[in-house]
Amino acid sequence: MFNKRINWLYVYLVIYLIFLYLPMFLLPMFAFNDSTTIAFPLKGFTFKWFTLLPEIDAMIQSVYNSLIIAISTSIIATTLGMCAARAWARYQFPGKSGIIGLIMIPLVLPEIVVAVSLLVVLLNFGVTLNLWTIVLGHVLIATPFCTAILTSAFLNLDESLEEASLDLGETRFTTFRLVVLPLVTPGIIASLIIAFMISLDEFIIAFFLTGTEPTLPVYLYSQLRFPAKLPIVMSLGTILLMLSLILVTTAEYFRRRGIHKSSLDQKDIGGTL
Amino acid sequence: MSNVIISLQNVSKYFGKIVALENFSAEIFKGEFFSLLGPSGCGKTTLLRTIAGLEEPSSGQVFIDGQSMEGTPANIRPTNMVFQSYAIFPHMTVGENVGFGLRKKNFTQEEKLKKVSESLEMVGLDGYQNRASNTLSGGQRQRVALARALILQPKVLLLDEPLSALDKKLREQMQVELRRLQRAVGITFILVTHDQEEALIMSDRIAVLFDGLVEQIASPQELYQKPINQKVANFIGVMNFLKCYKISKSKNGLTVDIEGLGKAEIKSSQAPDGINSDKLSVGFRPEMLTILFDEKQKPERETFGEVIDVSYYGDMTFYDIKINDIEKNISISMRNTAGRPVLKRGEKARIGWSSESIILLKN
Repeated sequence: MFNKRINWLYVYLVIYLIFLYLPMFLLPMFAFNDSTTIAFPLKGFTFKWFTLLPEIDAMIQSVYNSLIIAISTSIIATTLGMCAARAWARYQFPGKSGIIGLIMIPLVLPEIVVAVSLLVVLLNFGVTLNLWTIVLGHVLIATPFCTAILTSAFLNLDESLEEASLDLGETRFTTFRLVVLPLVTPGIIASLIIAFMISLDEFIIAFFLTGTEPTLPVYLYSQLRFPAKLPIVMSLGTILLMLSLILVTTAEYFRRRGIHKSSLDQKDIGGTL
Repeated sequence: MSNVIISLQNVSKYFGKIVALENFSAEIFKGEFFSLLGPSGCGKTTLLRTIAGLEEPSSGQVFIDGQSMEGTPANIRPTNMVFQSYAIFPHMTVGENVGFGLRKKNFTQEEKLKKVSESLEMVGLDGYQNRASNTLSGGQRQRVALARALILQPKVLLLDEPLSALDKKLREQMQVELRRLQRAVGITFILVTHDQEEALIMSDRIAVLFDGLVEQIASPQELYQKPINQKVANFIGVMNFLKCYKISKSKNGLTVDIEGLGKAEIKSSQAPDGINSDKLSVGFRPEMLTILFDEKQKPERETFGEVIDVSYYGDMTFYDIKINDIEKNISISMRNTAGRPVLKRGEKARIGWSSESIILLKN
């Protein structure tokens, strides 16, 4: 860095980052642009599109649907993740690696495959598509993330802390409440936020499994057919982008704090997601 | 009322097919400082955890104060433990850590605070109540763990290698302090350690374990002076072994023919029981041999050797010496008293010994 030769890897890194993130900057740019067409040159600054947002009932309804699904998914996936993570970190049992593999597989499965097969199964069982069928799909894809985050939280927990608590007269249950839970709480918060984000952003599964109540991404997609509404969609997208950034940053903060907190002098041994 | 606080009867523990501990039996007395000594993986920690109730024995029984502990979980047993990692709860202050065990006890808040304060004072950390536990040094953590375990006034305090994470100076200081504390509170301490020196300094009695089997239970002196076999002798301090060619009974005891040193008369107390049944070796500690610097000095027996290697420790010098017909080099330690020279490699040495200072050992 300090010599005069051009560091080509560094140049590559900068170009790569621009390519990756520049399109995202276009989103807020046109959200504040005073024109119905998405094109340069920019016409002027306006908050108009943001003020129009609350007037579209269908959109409000879709935000509401998405929130219900995201919150449910986040709670269910984190609960399941906690059970899996605890088992993964503490117990040895036959078929352990195979079972963990099965839990983690949705990470690499194409979502379209998950979505189509879930749809086929649900329809064959005569289930009417509603918000809960989407929750089902989202829990499936969010659980591996939750499990991974929580496993690193549980692995960072020194087993002798629990034994010390037992030794000092607490039962297994009170030990969990007084010692384990406070120390993995940052991991739980991180897991809740990540699962929430995954569900909120998810399109393919929601698109296939949605009944008459579309989620926000599905609604946005349906609005792309109407060019006049595009700037409003852009403004909504901007809000979602900011929300995502804040939540993911918070989640990572809690995850790191958890590692810092759960031991007096340990290093981060779990990878970040 | 018997004087026994812990009685272990044929305690065995298997992890799958691995034998961690086999048929351990011992009685540990009230107010005793008892050590479990052995190399890592010898089963000493397993035994400690079995007493604490953190492991269930595969067979055998643990009695504490006359009561069988079968089916009694760790949280009800009258034992407390200081863990190797100290297991200080990182989300609590020092005071909360120390008072953790009082939560379920019927004390008023004031009484609890007083007990915490007393307990911290005992380990020299009074006034640390509100300190965050992650600001403590290794030695302080160890003291907090100790205060936390002692606050419940257990019948037995279990210590799992509590000093192994400390540096040498602090460790030596804590050895003395732990011993002092144990005498002050009068509680039975059971210490697990792999450090023979630590065990010798601190304990009233020591159990030496190898591969899940107990070899000898004895006082530090007896263990050092009369180890039961070569394994134990090798683990506790340094011991020279010589071949023993022939043993016969004589009128005062035994006559042995020792490799390179010739015949010697010894008392029968210097040999284990049933001497004829086993192959035996002759053992003597490095300090039991003397290098003679004064030609006028007449020892009971003498021999000659050549210095192969010299290790100078300041207060002591350790020599490796080759003696004529002896296969292995012999280790001799000499205190560096005023005016006594230190031999160099290759020099000849006149060595004195006495038949009193040798023991016979099973191989």
